[in-house]
Amino acid sequence: MTKKKKSILSDQRFIVLLVIIVLSAIFSGMSKEFRQYTTILSMLDFSYYDLLMAIGVTFPLITGGVDLSIGTGMVAYALIGGTLIRNNNCPVVIAMLVCIGLGVLIGALNGVLIGVMNLPPFLATLCTCMITRGAGSLCSATPWPGLTQDGGWFHTIFKITVGTGRSASRYPIGFLWMILLVLIMEFVLNHTKFGRYTIAIGSNKEAAALSGINVKFYHVMVYVICGLFTGLAAIAYAAVTPTVQPGTGAGLEMDAIGGVFVGGVAATGGYGSVIGTFVGIFVIMLLKTGLPYIGLQANWQQIITGIVLIVAVLIDIVKEKKAATK
Amino acid sequence: MKAKKVMALVLCAAMVTGMSATAVFAANDPTAQFDGLKANEAYEFPMMVKSFQSTYWDAAQEGMKKAADELGVTYKAQGPNSESDIADQVNMINTAIASNPVGLGLAACDTSSVQDALKTCAEKGIPVVTFDTGIADAPEGSVVCEVCTDNTQAGSVAAENMYNSIKDVVKDADGQVIIGEVNQDATAQNIQQRGTGFINKMIELLKADGKTVAVTGNEFYVNAAEGADAEEKDADVIIQVAVPAQTTVELCSTEAQAILSQENCIAVFGSNQVSAEGVLAANNNLNVLGSDAANGDVIGVGFDAGSIIKAAVKDGTFVGAVTQSPLMMGYYAIYALTAAANGQELEDVPTEGYWYDATNMDDEDIAPNLYD
Repeated sequence: MTKKKKSILSDQRFIVLLVIIVLSAIFSGMSKEFRQYTTILSMLDFSYYDLLMAIGVTFPLITGGVDLSIGTGMVAYALIGGTLIRNNNCPVVIAMLVCIGLGVLIGALNGVLIGVMNLPPFLATLCTCMITRGAGSLCSATPWPGLTQDGGWFHTIFKITVGTGRSASRYPIGFLWMILLVLIMEFVLNHTKFGRYTIAIGSNKEAAALSGINVKFYHVMVYVICGLFTGLAAIAYAAVTPTVQPGTGAGLEMDAIGGVFVGGVAATGGYGSVIGTFVGIFVIMLLKTGLPYIGLQANWQQIITGIVLIVAVLIDIVKEKKAATK
Repeated sequence: MKAKKVMALVLCAAMVTGMSATAVFAANDPTAQFDGLKANEAYEFPMMVKSFQSTYWDAAQEGMKKAADELGVTYKAQGPNSESDIADQVNMINTAIASNPVGLGLAACDTSSVQDALKTCAEKGIPVVTFDTGIADAPEGSVVCEVCTDNTQAGSVAAENMYNSIKDVVKDADGQVIIGEVNQDATAQNIQQRGTGFINKMIELLKADGKTVAVTGNEFYVNAAEGADAEEKDADVIIQVAVPAQTTVELCSTEAQAILSQENCIAVFGSNQVSAEGVLAANNNLNVLGSDAANGDVIGVGFDAGSIIKAAVKDGTFVGAVTQSPLMMGYYAIYALTAAANGQELEDVPTEGYWYDATNMDDEDIAPNLYD
């Protein structure tokens, strides 16, 4: 059984990869401006926080839960970190740790509400979504330091800029970190106790509990991991967003969750892969970046994104059905 | 003697022209209605701001204080934690109305949520002066005066100043050139007016120099544009208008990037803080913005302030930006309320958008409006 599922999974990832190649070909063919290094650079810049959120939320989704608080949470942590830097002269590195710490804290809160107190994930994380949105609004609009400003070094985590002005070369080093993180988390998911129990909770929570797994503990940990990645996403978000605006962030989680589903995580939980999430996010990013280049207006961009998502998820469901009837 | 008569006639004529000129000026300048205004009593006005989050509102309060000191009235500024805390603001308004103030200053977070409160004001005879944000469908008799930015004018100021920088490039261009505009939406009235104000002024300036113009992109703005006379394929200049699917910096940036990466793009305008920052974010990788159009720099113009846009104006990434005047809005709101409490009939007071660039951003009349 597991073997069969694995082959389906790898197929899904392969299909998504094909989608990426086809989309890239279409956009490159239709717009010569799209075929530029700077386009890739910008797409990568804005993909990091989506991807980090998506890696994190892959785990709750595999358990059959969800975390709706990642979008507003990310913005709130970035706002709080930025406020610490601007108003309290806090070193950037401390602000980064605060982001991660807050992410873990809210993740743990989600985990306890869901895993221990048995609140439905949708409801629990909807509440923390509101809480983080409100908490973020207590701060005023804050930009983190720019690249050339004091404390601007943290931009180099994601992109190394050599030289200044027009002659500068830019290297999207963040992409390497992302690949590394994806591989680590893929390993964690498939080859550690934590990962296997995550899948077990998603497949059949009662059976997992009966077989002696400390379901409560691992369920909480799933959301803690999600929170940890949301904290990391906050740093990536602060690096690309000029001014982090209070009261925003609602809706950002949908790009991440959409990407995870495109990547082949079962909508009912029980299986999925972090590599799938990785390629899934790039389908979303390609659509977001490419559609404006071929001159499509905003309304059409959303319609097409929606259709592509439906098709991607449908392919998964159809294949699963086929496999089941075999 | 005859010479004297002629002299007298000339003088009379001069006086008459002078008077009529003043009269015309007064009719065009709504602030003239406050000339010589004195408060009949020491009024106190509740002033509802949208939040205390941004220094934009600090600037507005500075203006209120100045006017209150001049007139000998007092005010109490109140506002919710954030501009999205609509219900909190409505509660504050209701509490304020309950104590029957002589007038109420209001910058509504959400214009439709305050309709009931405005109805109560109309019934109780409490004059309301809206500032910053107008309420187009306010109940009859509630809002006596609107003190808001004239966004059409503000957009046209951006166009005029941008055109100064690109005039020669447009004149000497070999083929078609593109001027971009990024608007965060096509639904909010202020953005619509600002975007259209920019486009129409730009068309007017280009046509005056004998160029043909086409407007492309977002349907709303294409339809709202007046005077575009050419087809896209053979226009000398294309004004390309982009509106993102959602109002995030990311999507504004992607739209800006699609515009800026075209080789024949010579200028771009971001019509509010988010879209102007989106333009700057796109430029982070493209690095095409600058102040020397003749050498191939793309001319960027922003709107509003905030530390990122201010820094870009200072270092020449943006040649300049247009700021609204929260200070003057706060100032005239208190004047309007005092006049209304005195029983004076009022007309709306549109405040201007001001151009600022590296040379004047520290000036006394500009700096207070440039919030962080």
